[in-house]
Amino acid sequence: MVKSDRYSRQVLFPPIGKNGQELIEKKHVLLIGAGALGSSIGEMLVRAGIERLTIIDRDYIEMSNLQRQTLYTEADVEEKAPKADAAKKHLYAINSVCKVEGIVGEATVELLESLMDQVDLVMDATDNFETRMILNDITQKYHKPWIYGACVGSVGMSYTIIPGITPCLHCLLQKIPLQGMTCDTGGIISPAVQMVVTHQVVEAMKLLVEDYDALRGTFLSFDLWNNHYQSIKVDRIKKSACLSCGAERTYPFLDQSNHTKTAILCGRDTVQIRPSKEKRLNLKTLAASLENNGYEVKANPFLVSVKIEDARAVIFKDGRALIHHTKDTVYAKSLYDKLLG
Amino acid sequence: MNKILFFAGLKEVIGEDFLQRELNGKTVGEAKAILQEEFPALSLDIAMTAINEEYAFDEDVIKKEDVIAFIPPVSGG
Repeated sequence: MVKSDRYSRQVLFPPIGKNGQELIEKKHVLLIGAGALGSSIGEMLVRAGIERLTIIDRDYIEMSNLQRQTLYTEADVEEKAPKADAAKKHLYAINSVCKVEGIVGEATVELLESLMDQVDLVMDATDNFETRMILNDITQKYHKPWIYGACVGSVGMSYTIIPGITPCLHCLLQKIPLQGMTCDTGGIISPAVQMVVTHQVVEAMKLLVEDYDALRGTFLSFDLWNNHYQSIKVDRIKKSACLSCGAERTYPFLDQSNHTKTAILCGRDTVQIRPSKEKRLNLKTLAASLENNGYEVKANPFLVSVKIEDARAVIFKDGRALIHHTKDTVYAKSLYDKLLG
Repeated sequence: MNKILFFAGLKEVIGEDFLQRELNGKTVGEAKAILQEEFPALSLDIAMTAINEEYAFDEDVIKKEDVIAFIPPVSGG
């Protein structure tokens, strides 16, 4: 095999060197999400020379993505290209040696189970906690590391989870959040995205070259606009009774009955979304943040109705929602996650 | 005096990214109750608490000059 000059500057970095580069070039990374975090994570890892990248994303490129999703162009927006597909094409142009597969669809338990044995590392680039909890359980089950990343406004966070060693996401979240601030409700600036990506990718590189001593070990949280950085030691939160990583684990999030249900309403252009457990949403906060972000909102004590893209979402206090003007359950769920996170 | 940092959505509720309050000798749980009384719209239930960049449980006691951070779970990506 011809060794090209492409990675020479990376090889010159002593913690990587020739041995590290050889390891990188044998590795398969699974990237869940090809949006803000995903497009930059994908690009950096492909440029670094990984052997394979598998991307899963259910969404299509739209104009408001261009502000922060670094792989995409105006031509992609015109085509309404699916992100997983467009990412694959752009990444091929950057590094044609890397095998990139783009799967347009949801990261379901079935799909993930079919891939996990062949992956070395899972990168979180998702936009909702339900998928993250599935990733958390499945990486525990298959004993693969994964790197949590999330951002909103000027804030970002990241944490590297190593099964058998660190606490997992379920240990960290005492209760799974009913609603998180999403980029659609809280806004987002690209430096916050890039800072999360940077931290996720450098930790990924340490794992790929197997320099485990160099891992950060902490939960990182920052606010770039207000200049705060917190690198938090969280080892004491590891729970021996954790259902996802503990001694008597049950992997609750791999259980279908814990998943949000979608159903197309008969005879109507409407998809109903029903969370597995009744939530108690703060409709006032939701309505206020949506209005602040320029959405057309109508609200009463029982529901919030908001026009989003070509659909209208009606969200009830218990977390149930009706997404009108679509019969596409995957699209409807993506809108629901954009609003509630 | 203790410096208390608020991340993401919590900052919007407080109106500031940090506060200074005297919390020496209080547990994290007591501190949360005090802050929630001062800011009724504040919800610290699911936020992670760190004291001097180390995860803190509700029973942990805050000391002089400790820097406290409340970090809510963030979902965007």
